[in-house]
Amino acid sequence: MSTSKEIDLALVARCRGGDLAAFEELYRAHAGRLYSLAFRMLGNAADAEDMLQEIFLSAHRKLESFRGEAALGTWLYRLAMNQILDYVRSRAARAGQLTDGLDDASVLPDASGHRLADRAIDRLDLERAIGELPDGCRAAFVLHDVEGLEHKEIAQVLGIAEGTSKSQVHKARLRLRGLLRRHGV
Amino acid sequence: MACERNIERIQELVDGTLGAIRRTELEQHLGQCADCRALKEDLERIRDAAAALPALPPPDGAWLQIAGRLRHEGRIRETAAAARGSRSYAWLAIAATLVLAAGLSIPYLLRLTPAPAPPATGTIPVATNPKGNDSIEEVLSKVDAAQQQYEQAIVKMDDLRKANMNALDSQTSEVIEKNLGIIDRAIAENRAAVKAEPGSVAARETLFEALRQKVSLLQDTISLINEMRNGNNAAAAQLVNKS
Repeated sequence: MSTSKEIDLALVARCRGGDLAAFEELYRAHAGRLYSLAFRMLGNAADAEDMLQEIFLSAHRKLESFRGEAALGTWLYRLAMNQILDYVRSRAARAGQLTDGLDDASVLPDASGHRLADRAIDRLDLERAIGELPDGCRAAFVLHDVEGLEHKEIAQVLGIAEGTSKSQVHKARLRLRGLLRRHGV
Repeated sequence: MACERNIERIQELVDGTLGAIRRTELEQHLGQCADCRALKEDLERIRDAAAALPALPPPDGAWLQIAGRLRHEGRIRETAAAARGSRSYAWLAIAATLVLAAGLSIPYLLRLTPAPAPPATGTIPVATNPKGNDSIEEVLSKVDAAQQQYEQAIVKMDDLRKANMNALDSQTSEVIEKNLGIIDRAIAENRAAVKAEPGSVAARETLFEALRQKVSLLQDTISLINEMRNGNNAAAAQLVNKS
């Protein structure tokens, strides 16, 4: 019986040989997770779709370096994360805001003290609100609350202090509360 | 309004990182302060909803674009089996079925306006002898015919769509045009690949997949136009969500 490592290596070998069906198999297995990551980190579908293409084209070029030390999905996830973060950094550099970015007045709960409605938070409302967060704040929130990374890991991948990661996640949640309230949740 | 000095502590409580002594103090406060309690509950709900977000399906045209670019960059190789045409019958059958589907969809779509008669579906080449001994040339000839009919069906549907797009709002129209543009680019790239390698099974399969996606999008668009015209907003919303 083949191990998952052997299965990964066999699939990668076929992809390296130029087998399009094998690469499509790899794409179908991982595209959903990577597209979701790109969509949430970048905040819009058009950039996420472009990023998804670049991730898989880059993966195809780098398959030679896959040795099976990590699972194929993990290898792809790291590669995707690096590409997404490069893009986020360059976009943030243009806008002058990676470790932005929200002054406290804009994130504190409003004076009315109104809470969110009791019904469940709608997925689409939450996706839309995440898309409205500033880049740096959104990246930390998505990595922590959606992807489940620890602040220490986030600090490493984003190149920020651990305390900054924590602060960004907290600011993002407060900002999301306000946005969801504005969307009528 | 939540007490400003407690906001950070509430966040830490939600994260599960607040020390025992401070947690006890905060929990006592939460028992007395409705605003702080509401903040804690909202932050927990946001945290839980974020953790439960599902994976999103990648856009339909993304794989076609990737495959087209890999082919364009010369990074795809024909497998020996594909080069021998051993899968020819399988994809010919698929292609013919797709043409049949496109043909059958025309009368339904033409509820919108009087239109030319639909193509005679009976003339569609179907792989009737999948275990037969057709030569590769004969198979390719059948596939060419199937592809031609497929493209004719697309032209008819696209004409119909263009004539009726005013039934849709500008935002929806924009999204549809963008997606059609993506698929058209994929079709063009794959058509170029087929032209470069006329005998390539893989190239033709990818081209057929792109054509199939265009038919599917056109069908959904025209269905959406129908529902909007009939004032059936719920059905229209379902179609938008599906796409």
